[in-house]
Amino acid sequence: MATATTSEILCWSCKAGVVAGAHFCAACGKIQPLPPGTDYFAFFGLPRKLGLDAAELEKRFHELSWKLHPDNFVRSGESERALSLERSSQLNDAFRTLREPVARVEYLLAIEGARKEGTTKQQAPPELLEEVFELNESLDELRAARSAGGSDGELAALRAKLEAAGRSFEEKLREVDTALEAAFVRWDAALDAGADADVRRARIAELNEILNRRSYIRNLVRNVSEELAGA
Amino acid sequence: MARTVGIDLGTTYSLVACVDAATGQPKCIPGPYGETLCPSVVSVDADGRIVAGEPARRRLLTQPERTIYSVKRLMGRGVEDIQDELKLFPFRIDAESQNVIRVRLGERVFTPPEISAFILRELKGWAEEFFSEPVGRAVITVPAYFNDAQRQATRDAGRIAGLEVLRLVNEPTAAALAYGLHEKQRGLVAVYDFGGGTFDISILKLISAGEGDIYQVLATSGDTHLGGDDIDNLLLGIAREEIRREFGADLGQFSETLQELRKTLIRAKHELSVAEATTVKFALPDGGAWVREISRAEFEDWIQRIAERTMGPVKRAMADAGLKPEQIDEAVLVGGSTRIPLVRRRVEELFGRRPHVELNPDEVVALGAAVQANILESGVKDMLLLDVTPLSLGIETMGGVVAKIIPRNSTIPASAAELYTTGVDNQTGIEIHVLQGERELARDCRSLAHFTLKVPPMPAGMARVEVKFLIDANGILQVAARDLHTGEQRSVEVQPSYGLSDAEVERMLEESIEYAEEDFRVRQLIEARTEGESMLHATEKSLVGPQAAELTAGQRAAIDAGMAALRETMAGEDYKLIRARSEALNQATMPLAELMMNRALQMAVGGKRVDEI
Repeated sequence: MATATTSEILCWSCKAGVVAGAHFCAACGKIQPLPPGTDYFAFFGLPRKLGLDAAELEKRFHELSWKLHPDNFVRSGESERALSLERSSQLNDAFRTLREPVARVEYLLAIEGARKEGTTKQQAPPELLEEVFELNESLDELRAARSAGGSDGELAALRAKLEAAGRSFEEKLREVDTALEAAFVRWDAALDAGADADVRRARIAELNEILNRRSYIRNLVRNVSEELAGA
Repeated sequence: MARTVGIDLGTTYSLVACVDAATGQPKCIPGPYGETLCPSVVSVDADGRIVAGEPARRRLLTQPERTIYSVKRLMGRGVEDIQDELKLFPFRIDAESQNVIRVRLGERVFTPPEISAFILRELKGWAEEFFSEPVGRAVITVPAYFNDAQRQATRDAGRIAGLEVLRLVNEPTAAALAYGLHEKQRGLVAVYDFGGGTFDISILKLISAGEGDIYQVLATSGDTHLGGDDIDNLLLGIAREEIRREFGADLGQFSETLQELRKTLIRAKHELSVAEATTVKFALPDGGAWVREISRAEFEDWIQRIAERTMGPVKRAMADAGLKPEQIDEAVLVGGSTRIPLVRRRVEELFGRRPHVELNPDEVVALGAAVQANILESGVKDMLLLDVTPLSLGIETMGGVVAKIIPRNSTIPASAAELYTTGVDNQTGIEIHVLQGERELARDCRSLAHFTLKVPPMPAGMARVEVKFLIDANGILQVAARDLHTGEQRSVEVQPSYGLSDAEVERMLEESIEYAEEDFRVRQLIEARTEGESMLHATEKSLVGPQAAELTAGQRAAIDAGMAALRETMAGEDYKLIRARSEALNQATMPLAELMMNRALQMAVGGKRVDEI
């Protein structure tokens, strides 16, 4: 647990003190409201680390589902039903986000203030500009030849050219994924070492940069495979 | 103590089930006819009395303009949605209909939830008779692929029927629950649910956790307008065309004869699930008879395309679950249409294993609903369902584009928060349009609701309102708004695009009580007597006909004895006895009916006996 401290939060039912973020009151067992600003990591009682054991996360998800699901509160009063709905929906949202590495890092960047949710920069990474230009040219050529009713031989040649370009970008996608994993490890190490705000910011900026590159390359790969599949 | 039941509100049939307190096992509750299947048919007679179930189904033939079937197809839909449906189903849609359809039955007009409520009241009556106690709460099943409006309409139907709807459960999930209990299955399970009007596929993961079993739905897909009905309509189209060519007779669009033909073809469809061939014999109103042998191969050829339409959703669900067919440990078949051998073969081919059919495919959904009802009612929990939302939830943004905020196949309850602000100074309202569906543009998705967020007048961009969209455990949307400056909750009046307001549901509940308060037994007695009367009347009439002379002495004596026995009970109060004796008389008159049928066919095809054709 990263920041579990007893504060002056009191149980709405028995007025006993409640550990910040606890799902239930330790004294009377009643479900507790979600403190504003609880992030998905905190919901699971996890530090904001990117290396996550998927099986362990799923096990925790099932344990919490068992306790928080609205099925348990069908016969409870309206306020407890509402709290169950709030907590169980948060649980599902958190699990959905944290189980996928890319969704997880995007979420981390959002709560660390590095990007607004849903916005990604769609600028070509400078070192890829030339290749991106060639790839787009191949795409345009194939589309043009197709709509002009080009010969089979011509289309096959253009397809082969596009496939080759696509393969090159798939390779780049794998490279960027490896880079992302390495950046995950560096972020986690910085957290473990209790790094200062500047180091954290630098690590976050690094993650952000890699993620933008990844999203750009993935879009290209998707465009190519859609174009080839539509043939 | 008011009881809780599980109800499968189906397109063709509906069922009610409970968990037996003694055995802990779910079971279906039989109705007054001894059958667990209640036809999803509602009829209004000339004095405004409403009947549902078997007696209503009989009236499909005699009073089609006062009777409706397959109303589930209309739930949660608007007039423009059902234009295709209107070509195939005899729905009499009232001109007043807009975003909620209104159906004319005789002199009266009803919404689809009201009509469904009559079916639910009938089933509630069955259960109350069975328990000798009132029933107050229910778990009702819906197709997994039902959207928000269709789910709301189902919940409204429950409320109008005087039931507290504890939960809407997806049909394939309910079936998985019943099977899990039965077979103690684990691992990855595909539930293929092909019913009367809807098709669903759900992929589940069954996990044994410390406290009990978790049924986690990984992905679901389907088609809410694909089912046995479509096969019936296809057969009807082929038959009409052949009759037109052979006899030059047009049976009209929704005539009584056509209903009779539909019934005959459905029987043939059922026979073709067990026999290699069947012969359809159908007496035409002008005296001719259409006789047609159908082989299973020919039938399969006809329905191939309908069966294949189920494969699109199956592939989508598998892809969304990130699984390949060979990774599925078990496949389960649910719904009457999975009795068709072609459908079974297709599922077996796909998953490379023989699907489970141990539980009655008509009953399994109701059984699962009863299990879930029992868990919710008793609070004793040894299993947990984690279901998903079948469709992505989105909001309309600039240019009519939809921004998806909760992706399809998210475990429910699920939520998403969006931050809104104003674009111009002193703007006092922000328009929000919520949709469901997978397409990019708002016009291609299903509109769920429009609402206006009220904000105090201030300079543009200053307002900060957080809107929380939440899909609850029933798969139904809830919306709440909070002003981030003040922390105040804002109430949001959401007007559903295709649904009833709370006030309308309340009014309908009051109205329906007028009809419903009539005692179940009294109603059953009246119906049984009416049925007995018409049975006696029909028998007397045929006994004066020329074929009566051809009966053997024994056959004639059986009919006379049957009539006497039925007459004796008619004044009594025992509706079950009246029904039993009516049925016995019906059996006794079989030889006579056959003689009459032979005569009709003789006139049509010249002298052959029925069993020779």
